[in-house]
Amino acid sequence: MEQEQDLADYRARLLDGLNVSARRSICGPSDLIQVFVNERRVGVLDGKEAEATFQFQCQGRVDTVHLRSEDGVLLGGLSAPGYGFRAARISMSRDAVELRIHNTVQSGSASAVFIPAPRRWRHILRAIAGSAQAVIPRPSGAAIAPSMRIGALTQAFLAIIVLGLAADRITAWMTLERIPPPVTRAEAPWAATLAEVAKLEQQLGDLSRMQATAVDTIQSQQRGMAELQRAIAKLAPNKETVPSDVLTVRRETEKRQTGSDRERDQTPRMVMNKGQMDQKQLEAEIQSLAVMNERLSEDMAGLVEQNRDLEKKLESAGLEVSKATAVHQGDVMTARHPEEEQLTSPPLVVDTRVNAQPFLFWVNFSEGTTQERIDQWVNEMQGHKGALNEGWQEVQVVQPSIPTDRFLEQVRETEIVKAVRVSR
Amino acid sequence: MMRCIDSREKAMADRTAAHGRLEDVASTPEEFDRVVSQALPILLERAGNCTRRFLRETGQWSDDTAHEKFVLRWSAEYLERFMLYGRSEVPCRPLFLLDSFVAKQHSQPEPFCYHPELLAPLGRFLDGLVARAVISRDALIALYHHCYGMSPRDVIAVTGLNESESQRIYKNFRRWRESGWQRTMDEIGMTDAELEQLIVRQERHPQRFNHEAERIIRFAHDHYRKSEPDHYPCLSRSEWASMFLEGYGCNYRLWHLALCVDCVQMTWDLGRHKASTVEKPRLELRVRP
Repeated sequence: MEQEQDLADYRARLLDGLNVSARRSICGPSDLIQVFVNERRVGVLDGKEAEATFQFQCQGRVDTVHLRSEDGVLLGGLSAPGYGFRAARISMSRDAVELRIHNTVQSGSASAVFIPAPRRWRHILRAIAGSAQAVIPRPSGAAIAPSMRIGALTQAFLAIIVLGLAADRITAWMTLERIPPPVTRAEAPWAATLAEVAKLEQQLGDLSRMQATAVDTIQSQQRGMAELQRAIAKLAPNKETVPSDVLTVRRETEKRQTGSDRERDQTPRMVMNKGQMDQKQLEAEIQSLAVMNERLSEDMAGLVEQNRDLEKKLESAGLEVSKATAVHQGDVMTARHPEEEQLTSPPLVVDTRVNAQPFLFWVNFSEGTTQERIDQWVNEMQGHKGALNEGWQEVQVVQPSIPTDRFLEQVRETEIVKAVRVSR
Repeated sequence: MMRCIDSREKAMADRTAAHGRLEDVASTPEEFDRVVSQALPILLERAGNCTRRFLRETGQWSDDTAHEKFVLRWSAEYLERFMLYGRSEVPCRPLFLLDSFVAKQHSQPEPFCYHPELLAPLGRFLDGLVARAVISRDALIALYHHCYGMSPRDVIAVTGLNESESQRIYKNFRRWRESGWQRTMDEIGMTDAELEQLIVRQERHPQRFNHEAERIIRFAHDHYRKSEPDHYPCLSRSEWASMFLEGYGCNYRLWHLALCVDCVQMTWDLGRHKASTVEKPRLELRVRP
């Protein structure tokens, strides 16, 4: 309930504020007026200046222009057309600001001209020439600059005086027609007055000419002032961006200085970089070679170990073969004495030595047997090929563990072998 | 009882008539002013509905008083601008022109500074101050007081203003004290109770309170600095030093330093009139002007 009341109060306060918004500013006429374009503050209008102007141009469209006092109160504004021109006159107490927006396809521009209320002496002058002002037709609609108004009023005032004097002269001439000349000064004292009037008329004519010259001078000065203000207005947006431009130039200069230093250092730095890169590459290659080397040495050690094992196996195999041969011989000569056994031991050793020698034989292969098949067979036999003579291939194998005849029988049973012989 | 029903019926009839007039074409600015000024509550409600719908659709809505106040504040802001711009759009139908105007505002990337923390009393207070600073020079200068407790003389010293420029600072301070602060509080819906509550919180836990205020104000600064002239970015200390030394960029200094905690802490001693009383600014919030 309390919250609802709070909200209702807030709503009522906001509505009150909207009703009197433009009257709430406590800024004086001499305070600055802030100009916002597209909700961004772009500059100020100085109320102290006679006809302060502000111009703004941007690349995009101008959507809105609004004026705010320094205390933030919205004084007036104008929304822009999509394309084209729009103007409005914003009244602020006695002063006014004329807003103009012009949007084209490429860009948008906005201008604000502060038109102050006429000063007190101008009011007095207007009061004097009040009747004259009624005579002169007012230009409709467009705002007239106060100085122009004053010029026109002065001229009207002079014209009335001249008309009055002229009417007086005409009356005088008509009177003269009725009274016959000559007339003496004593008889007609008004005659002297007439001369004085003529003199006065001449003086008035001179005065009006001087006045016209003065008005011309004032107008030319006003034109000069207007041109000066236009020039100031054109410079105003630049003035806002000057600080950032100065900074940009400084940054550019620093960048260029840094750039030239960089170019100077670039060549040796490049060479150094290249050298460093080459060095790194070499180091990497050396490292990979070292790793490879380690692996190779490990492989080699493994192979040596394997070789030793193989040699041991071969040795043991040889021993087993010799033992087997000895057992076979033992079966035949069962009655031999241990002494004789001791005597037969050397042939075992001899046998072992003999067995280590390669066994040589010659093979005649069947017709049509390819060389590849022959090589494969030799490899299977763990042998080596020797010379080829009249169709007989010399083959060298490790001494077979079985008897030679049997071995040769097995060779003959091979499919590709046509004939086998031991002697050449 | 009968009288009460009669008055309610009359109010309903008036409202319907006002609504009807808003749907009709206003041909002249004067007619527009008349029709709109007679139907401000309807228009405020209409703008509020659009804003509420926008918040709902963007997942930023919650049914509480803080959100309702947020909606009211921005609706009034839109309505104020609409009353101004609508005059130059005649002939138009005011009701539908308001819809299109609010929709156009919401079509912008960040139509307003929304953050849940900115809806609490402290956030609302800071958001209101910074938002006002974007459109009011008085509020902008007052930020130096509310954030860092500076007097006009301190502001002149810190921003390095010359004699002629410094006169306006005193005026800004005076106007802010006289009416600006109260108007801002009214517009953001800060009640006296809420303001007192902030003061009490600060007295009890000053460090925690100021720390929280700094965090929130940085968020608000980031959002509202987009509204400052777009050629006023943060600078390095040497760039600020040359600006202070050569005396250009008066507006730059005033605008940017008021809306940037880091830059004011970097440049506080660069001003030409080095007042001995000025110390390095630290964010110590002042609720009252």
